[in-house]
Amino acid sequence: MTVNYKSVFDIIGPIMIGPSSSHTAGACAIGRAANSIFQETPTDIVVHYYESFAQTHKGHGTDYAIISGILGFEPDDSRVPYAIGLARDQGINITFIEEPEDSPINHPNTAIIELTNSKDGKKVTVAGCSIGGGTIEIRGIKMNGFDIKPKGPLPILLVPGSEVDQQNVTDQLTALTKVNEKKQYQSAKGDLFEYDLDRRLKPEEVKELAKNNTNLVYL
Amino acid sequence: MYMSVAELVDAAKKTKKPIYELVIEQEMDTSHNTREEIWDAMGRNLDIMAAAVKKGAEGEGVFSKTGLTGGEAVKIKNYRSAKKTLSGDLMMQAVQNAVSTNEVNSSMGVICATPTAGSSGTLPGVIFTLKDRLDLTRDQMIQFLFTAGGFGMVLANNAGIAGATGGCQAEVGSASAMGAAAAVELAGGTPEQSAEALAMAISNLLGLVCDPVAGLVELPCVKRNAIGVGNALISADMALAGCTNKIPADEVVAAMDKVGKGLPSTLRETGLGGLAATPTGVRMKEKIFGKAVDAKA
Repeated sequence: MTVNYKSVFDIIGPIMIGPSSSHTAGACAIGRAANSIFQETPTDIVVHYYESFAQTHKGHGTDYAIISGILGFEPDDSRVPYAIGLARDQGINITFIEEPEDSPINHPNTAIIELTNSKDGKKVTVAGCSIGGGTIEIRGIKMNGFDIKPKGPLPILLVPGSEVDQQNVTDQLTALTKVNEKKQYQSAKGDLFEYDLDRRLKPEEVKELAKNNTNLVYL
Repeated sequence: MYMSVAELVDAAKKTKKPIYELVIEQEMDTSHNTREEIWDAMGRNLDIMAAAVKKGAEGEGVFSKTGLTGGEAVKIKNYRSAKKTLSGDLMMQAVQNAVSTNEVNSSMGVICATPTAGSSGTLPGVIFTLKDRLDLTRDQMIQFLFTAGGFGMVLANNAGIAGATGGCQAEVGSASAMGAAAAVELAGGTPEQSAEALAMAISNLLGLVCDPVAGLVELPCVKRNAIGVGNALISADMALAGCTNKIPADEVVAAMDKVGKGLPSTLRETGLGGLAATPTGVRMKEKIFGKAVDAKA
């Protein structure tokens, strides 16, 4: 069964800078997911807000929280409130848009992040929602010509490569945890597999997986 | 993973283990971390809570950037020492601890979300008050947090804990229920009594809306934690006295989920209804963000 809250520390925690777990810590987590997917520093950040996020992002510090995540900060990093200034100092262009319509991924706390690097033309889009207490879901990712639509709950592992290439990934994952769902995506650049995992992996376990699959994304 | 209150209570009865022990075992199983790592991580959360409880009630107190909230934990502290409180010193100590924590949160200080930042004062309000009342050790306080967290996971996975989806009942209501259930265990109550306390605590706050003025986690969030902590202690006491909720805990959790889904979006953390929509609430929003924001909304 896929549940969102897999750890007692999702409930007692996270330790964070106030004021809102869903609009600050959760926003930071959506930014961190985008950072993990993009894997480089963007030149342009565009954030689209929907519903509750559109109405209350200013009051909750959602703007700096999301940028802090894109810069790779943890939610209790003392630099979180200063993230926008820090990003602009690096020459990053930032735009926030309050969208009037309902969330395209059906959740009141929705942010869709577009990251672009104008130097190499790289672009990704990440659609995330903050479901409470700092926990998030990722329901849409556009990268490398793939249009990935996960169910939502983390952790999610994305591994490019053919079905044959995936055998060692499957073997390694089976030894670690249950795979709740495995989905295949195709683009002009080849195949990509999405694995929805039953438990969060430890950093050293992700490192081990990355040894044979340097382009994997772990969310 | 324990997916219902009944599963957690049954397992505690069958194994004759306290609920905190089952929650620690569950965490070891799902995270593959050692018992010591898990215990220490919860200890760090407790330390962060202790720091916030203290910080908000020291000196002049802490204040948010907007000036909407702050300094009231200190007012409560001074009132406690100067006057005879109506609801008793223990209750007002709990309220002080809760308000202090949430004032730190509103001032963008460091807190531990339990289960959310907006409801982060409720559990510390309970535990740091019971610490003095029951002369608790640090280990017992950490055990309290595991029990509260175990019940919180059931609430979060069955009904949700976000104001934007379930209203304040899902935030302060959940925190209050977690605190009530864990307080019962600390005081020597049975697992069934923990479940009754949880059921009563949620039933008492069912339908509570999320209506933050200007969309900020300040008004009425800070003081909602006062009712969260009061309700937790009252519900725990009623359960320990042998009172029952009659409607079983898991049915109450399902009802909370349904009530949350039935709330209009204006009362789910949009800052557009309830107290946020009062003339004074609207004026505060305009003063903080200017009229342009309001027009866009």
